[in-house]
Amino acid sequence: MIEQIRNQARQLLENGEVDVVIGYAEGSDPTRTTPVFVRKPEDVDRLIYDARCINSLPLYLNKRHEYTKKGWKKTGIIGKGCDIRAITQLIAENQLRRDEVYILGVPCEGVVSHFEKWDGSLHDGNRASKCTDCDVMIPLDTDFFPGEKPEVDRSGPYKVTSPKVANLMGMENDQRFAFWRDDFDRCFKCYACREVCPHCSCNVCITDETTPSWIDPAAHKKGVFSWHLTRAMHLVGRCTGCGECTRACPMDIQVDLFNQRMKEIVQENYGYKSGYSLEEKHPLITYKVDDREDFIK
Amino acid sequence: MGKKIERHAFEPKIMAFVCKWCTYSGADLAGTSRMDYSPNVRMVRLPCSGRIDPQFMIKAFEQGADGVVVSGCHPGDCHYNEGNYYARRRNTAFRELMDFNGIDIERIEFSWISAAEAIKWTEVIDNFTDKVRELGPHAQYSDDVVDPYAEFLVQKDRETA
Repeated sequence: MIEQIRNQARQLLENGEVDVVIGYAEGSDPTRTTPVFVRKPEDVDRLIYDARCINSLPLYLNKRHEYTKKGWKKTGIIGKGCDIRAITQLIAENQLRRDEVYILGVPCEGVVSHFEKWDGSLHDGNRASKCTDCDVMIPLDTDFFPGEKPEVDRSGPYKVTSPKVANLMGMENDQRFAFWRDDFDRCFKCYACREVCPHCSCNVCITDETTPSWIDPAAHKKGVFSWHLTRAMHLVGRCTGCGECTRACPMDIQVDLFNQRMKEIVQENYGYKSGYSLEEKHPLITYKVDDREDFIK
Repeated sequence: MGKKIERHAFEPKIMAFVCKWCTYSGADLAGTSRMDYSPNVRMVRLPCSGRIDPQFMIKAFEQGADGVVVSGCHPGDCHYNEGNYYARRRNTAFRELMDFNGIDIERIEFSWISAAEAIKWTEVIDNFTDKVRELGPHAQYSDDVVDPYAEFLVQKDRETA
């Protein structure tokens, strides 16, 4: 499978169809992989793909990063299903044009949740929670796919993959608050969850603004709650569920539970699934006259 | 003849983010008509309920508000045609988010109040103030955070008293 991808990438680079291919290569130790930017056809053999390839590469297509300003006209990118969902969402939000990117899709059988948990194989003990019940193991929108692409039914609603969301919703308010307070107690505001997110696209993040300072920059309870609420609110209807925020968190806070819950809400109220359509607008920038208003007095 | 003033041990701080065309005018009408309503509310006038960023509400809670009121024109009456529809969707999501975080969503009130509904405005504020007074201070964020400046002010008050 990876040989076909390499051949295609080599061909694209030789013909000058793409300026760079973003993919995965062997990392610093056997459990790790690292994102790699291949610009010469002879380097194509560095590309690999297996269950350790957990980084979300569409991050590098986001305009917030400088990569898109390097004069690359067309970027080739190796994407597993969930990454291609993120690319689709970027295109739907006008962050990217479809003809700026060449998507090399890979069939995916799930990835590990953290590099440290890799022990040579993928099993239930180390599989990422997003990979249970995934309907894009055969990716949706690709320019190149090794082998035949079978038809997959993706019309089903979004399902929350982490059992913790239902557990939390079963609790009383105070218990839920206590859960988050204990979790957020560890947060020291490194903003790793922001830095890995393919959809955080503000040029100046609201936490970095100082006039006025919207979110208390100190890592005490007020500031931490404000930051996580703001982050989750900005991603309502846009998050494609790559789960990178939770993986990147050095303090092991499950910040993607917020995103999963909000995806569920958006699905229930507006029937919208992010990352499946290039045209459909995300739910908070559009409206219907007969939207739900049972909470309004 | 005004209402009889009752004294309470706890007076909630309530922030109201209101639309300039409907709710603010409604509150203005309540004022010019000499209607009584709870003085606990602090209003911020915004051009439209669509301008009310959930960030404002997060900030209000962070700064110690006990309750937040969001109000704008009735659906179909928006001065900018569609701002309140966006506000409605945004607040649906925001309330669910606050709920998931474990913050009591009884502390957030959303209401449509037109420029003629001065009576509705006084009722909404009075009822909401009573409700928040029963819920008590919003201490979830701040129970272990000490603001040195506030401490200093309290100290100073004690010394001068």
